[in-house]
Amino acid sequence: MAEVQEGGFRAFHPSWEDPSCARNLAVWVCGVDDLRLLPYTVVPQLGMNDVRVKIKAVGICGSDVHYVKKLRNSRVAMKEPMVLGHESSGVICEVGASVTHLRVGDRVALEAGIPCNSCVLCKEGRYNLCKNVRFFGSPPTNGSLTQEVVHPASLCYKLPDNLTFEEGAMCEPLSVGVHACRRAKVEPGRRVLILGAGPIGLIVLLVSRAFGATTVHVTDIDQRRLMAAASLGAEGTLRVSSDMNDMENEVMELKQLIGVPIDVTFDCVGITKTMQTALKVTKSGGKVCLVGMGQDNLTLPLTSSAAREVDVLGIFRYCNTYPLCLDLLQSRKVDVRPLITHRYRLTEDDMKEAFQTTAMAGDAIKVMFTI
Amino acid sequence: MSLKPNFVLYVIKRHFHPISRWKNHVFLGHCNHTQIFAMGKGSAQGESSLGTCQSQNLAAWLMEANKLEIRPFELPALGPKDVKIRMKAVGICGSDVHYYKHMRLADFIVKEPMVIGHECAGVVEEIGNEVTHLAVGDNVALEPGVSCAHCSHCKEGRYNLCDEMKFFATPPIHGSLANFVVHPASLCFKLPENVSLEEGAMCEPLSVGVHACRRAGAGPHTKVLVMGSGPIGLVTLMAAKAFGSPRVVVVDVDENRLKMAQELGAHEVVCVSTRIEDVEKEVLEIQQKMAADVDITFDCAGLEKTMRTALKATRSGGEVCLVGMGHVEMKVPLTAAAAREVDILGVFRYRNTYQLCIDMISSGRINVKPLITHRFGFSQEDVVKAFNVSAMGGSAIKVMFNI
Repeated sequence: MAEVQEGGFRAFHPSWEDPSCARNLAVWVCGVDDLRLLPYTVVPQLGMNDVRVKIKAVGICGSDVHYVKKLRNSRVAMKEPMVLGHESSGVICEVGASVTHLRVGDRVALEAGIPCNSCVLCKEGRYNLCKNVRFFGSPPTNGSLTQEVVHPASLCYKLPDNLTFEEGAMCEPLSVGVHACRRAKVEPGRRVLILGAGPIGLIVLLVSRAFGATTVHVTDIDQRRLMAAASLGAEGTLRVSSDMNDMENEVMELKQLIGVPIDVTFDCVGITKTMQTALKVTKSGGKVCLVGMGQDNLTLPLTSSAAREVDVLGIFRYCNTYPLCLDLLQSRKVDVRPLITHRYRLTEDDMKEAFQTTAMAGDAIKVMFTI
Repeated sequence: MSLKPNFVLYVIKRHFHPISRWKNHVFLGHCNHTQIFAMGKGSAQGESSLGTCQSQNLAAWLMEANKLEIRPFELPALGPKDVKIRMKAVGICGSDVHYYKHMRLADFIVKEPMVIGHECAGVVEEIGNEVTHLAVGDNVALEPGVSCAHCSHCKEGRYNLCDEMKFFATPPIHGSLANFVVHPASLCFKLPENVSLEEGAMCEPLSVGVHACRRAGAGPHTKVLVMGSGPIGLVTLMAAKAFGSPRVVVVDVDENRLKMAQELGAHEVVCVSTRIEDVEKEVLEIQQKMAADVDITFDCAGLEKTMRTALKATRSGGEVCLVGMGHVEMKVPLTAAAAREVDILGVFRYRNTYQLCIDMISSGRINVKPLITHRFGFSQEDVVKAFNVSAMGGSAIKVMFNI
């Protein structure tokens, strides 16, 4: 198994030959479009403040697909095969010696990123920006699309009785929406516009409504996704094109459709056209929140929006969101269950199909593994 | 100069008369450095107004691109909440120069001649009958923008964003480079004894720096980078220090302007190039000079290069505040910055800053006097010279008229 893959690394990992963990399988990306179901030795060993978790549900997202296709994200490239997945929940099967708030048998949602806890950003509470964060399924940290992981107890949150493992796993993408709505200060009185009705856009829609936004409108190029948005409570939707030449007209149409000044626009696509639309359509003094990671080098007419005091806020993952997510789900202020459209098991065939389905988008919103 | 009895001085009506009608006017000469025109008796144009030089109102009119002329300027009637101000100090700003050269700025177009100037201070000459907080003889700084007070922006306190804003020298609203203006008393701020009229006029540009610092949250905990060491960069530098920023680094392409920044208290300066290829190198230099993370960057130039530098140099979770009005289309690596939660804040003019500026000048926390590099009187020749000096930039920071 010593082939050199396109990413420039060998498709080999010592786990695969470790006899002690043959029973702990994981989904590995070993090269471009090269997914394999192979053993995974769980490291680190269980520390005093850790818990061992039997994973029960894992969702996959666009970024997981991105690694399968590109073997990298915008900052870091994979140097060896990696376990995918970061949206997970499970049952505690062992606790470290100092852990008091969790017990064996507890059902928990896992927050994906382990920050360093000692840098300025961590101490200020913005630990999502920690330079040394270890995040499931972000190279070089292996992910949680596996049967068992070890994780800090402080990043495991007990699931209320009325929530399923799938809903626990959904806390991860839901956290992105919560973090975005917090940063953009969505609250009663606000008129919100969401560009892009993919999983993130739909989650931002659900959270905006839960945060009391007066109205939420949604755009997308795909009518099916707009229908999903309408069924999830969008006041109105608008089908847009991917042609830059249509932008001016679409801005006018949006303003007519919504009828009142737009306070916050969430760009959940993140390409030039959507950002330009957002900057033009948002009211003076409003906010544009860039949630999507579409394009690396956006060309933007920044001066004219800045001259109207339209602020541009970035969103990177989330921080301090899990407890609120669980509250929103438990009280049914947010219901993420309709977003789970496809389910798969941890088998070779299902694994391949799951990623294909996610990559194709279309009527797939959230693809979930049941472990 | 004495007026012959059969000449009558005319005040030109608010609606501009085509230039051909000026043929009927006879130039009488100068009075207090202003030109006086008169019409022959019996002409049907305009109202008649007998008066001495002092009560006629003259202003610097932008007639067409690169053409400024001092001409009469009729004032509106004094409303009950208004004051009439005898103008004393008026500064020139980059936007005035831009209108001078191009007759437009962004979507604002000068469609007919307009009085220029908006950074001003003067003496109260007359007060409306409902004005209580000002008295004739008071020295005041004038906040230029009259907002509507009933739109949601105004009611929420963000009156600088008012859609019905009437701002001195933003077309079609006439400016204040004149002998007299009429203005709402609520926008005239009394100057204490130790604040001069020139310093009062400086409150206007200083307000831009103050508003930017407020929006960005500058304070004792923020290390600040200022891009551009022109008038706006310098007032932002001063405001940041006044707000308690412990370390301010200023960058510019011009060594002389950087010297001024150092004199005004910049802790470090970096001379940068105009080449976009130098961004990476300059970001490193800036970070070295700051010797710490950059919390806030004020882009007071507003160019593609300065924005790129700002977005790279600022720490994760920091703010970039766009204060300068450079290019309209800027190609910026926005995704990379957004992924570090570097927020981009816009700044448009200012709001609720005048009293704070006056207080900071009065207490000595801010000293704006060194920014005034050139002074001119209010004559046709001086007005043209002053605008040309201001347009040249370089060693000219603030050009001030003393009227």
